[in-house]
Amino acid sequence: MDYFEPKTISEALSLLAKHGAEAKVIAGGTDVMVDIKYKEEPGCLINIKKVPGLGAIQESGAGLRIGPLVTIHELETNKLVREKLPVLWEASHQFASLQIRNTATIGGNICRASPSGETLAPLLVLDAKAKIAFADGEKTEPFTSFFQGPGKSTVGLKGLLTEIDIPYPAAGSKSVYLKHAVRGAMDIAMVGVAVLITPDAAKNSLQDVRIGLGAVAPTPLRATKTEALLRGEPLTAGLLKEAGAMAASEASPITDQRSSAEYRRWIVEALTRRGLQQTWKAATGKEVAS
Amino acid sequence: MSLTINTTINGKSVSAGAEAAATLLEFLRDTLNLKGTKLCCNTGECGACTIIYNGKPINSCVTMAADANGAEITTIEGVADGEKLHPVQQAFIDTGAVQCGYCTPGYIISVKALLDRTKKPTMEEIEEAVSGNICRCTGYTKIVDAIQLAAQKL
Repeated sequence: MDYFEPKTISEALSLLAKHGAEAKVIAGGTDVMVDIKYKEEPGCLINIKKVPGLGAIQESGAGLRIGPLVTIHELETNKLVREKLPVLWEASHQFASLQIRNTATIGGNICRASPSGETLAPLLVLDAKAKIAFADGEKTEPFTSFFQGPGKSTVGLKGLLTEIDIPYPAAGSKSVYLKHAVRGAMDIAMVGVAVLITPDAAKNSLQDVRIGLGAVAPTPLRATKTEALLRGEPLTAGLLKEAGAMAASEASPITDQRSSAEYRRWIVEALTRRGLQQTWKAATGKEVAS
Repeated sequence: MSLTINTTINGKSVSAGAEAAATLLEFLRDTLNLKGTKLCCNTGECGACTIIYNGKPINSCVTMAADANGAEITTIEGVADGEKLHPVQQAFIDTGAVQCGYCTPGYIISVKALLDRTKKPTMEEIEEAVSGNICRCTGYTKIVDAIQLAAQKL
């Protein structure tokens, strides 16, 4: 196996162009090293940790610009992330063990494109965007269209994720990330649900609502039909029930060793209801009307 | 492809070869013969291979050996001061927090890293710090006792 440590983005891109499908980009390595041991050794490994400028968290306009080499523990301990993007903080706090959080990077979690990637549902509800560099230029891709299937994203074989741009949610909005797993943070999520709501000025209805679902489809996804059902409405018990059922119908889970598809749908329903209820109370100070 | 790794382990400069596909754990155990760091799940889930890497606890089984280049690493072999055990090691002995002992080096490292960053950890911080370490004998109560005793002594 060949091994490269590019020192610039353009050097990494030329290596990707040259080695294509047999190349594997590695950063923290917490997933890639396991694959090398138990699945397949790639023809070449491109370690991007020496590329400067990819490891910072910076405020940029009304949002945060996060480098792909930022570790999960750096996210978890960053004051701006905690204050301004609590839903991403929650996900990073429930992300495996401290040992893994000290190594794994947000860019790796994204480019791995696992449906259960802990940061992905939060990035979807935050309307975050990826900046991806290619040999012939760069593009910006919203995460809502970034994921293409398990392990597949628009980064493809020749691109390099260089930036994650996350706008701050509107003032007054509230969010939550709910993870369902047997062994808490250590476990891969059976289901992960991120909810972000913004009430109207009078705090009577849902001006904006975003629901991200993880581990229940080939990609993490936004429950757009459920969002449309809720948008502009006051949250009542009847609507809450309807929303839970609709979110479950938008999921297309599989049965695997962690749980059955049927169970996953129940959990999507329950967590969607719980997430809406919690954020509604946090944002409006009111319980859901019966 | 073979690489040359220049690193600092337990305060000593080390230069040795490693395959590009090698893990840091393999480099420590098989190349440098530092067998105190344990191979267990080999997938980053059990914490038996925990080492301190640039001040932070990490799983050496899912880290590239290549990433040791230029890093400062502490393994279980570097925790004691000569013959004098580290207070965390002594506390594990004094409270009987060792059953089969296989997870112990990983625990000692995680706890040392915790007490290096927090002198008086809360119960929540203790649980958080060792939640990535599994004791297959399930001797968790004594391990928590040991951590509290070590925190008092430090």
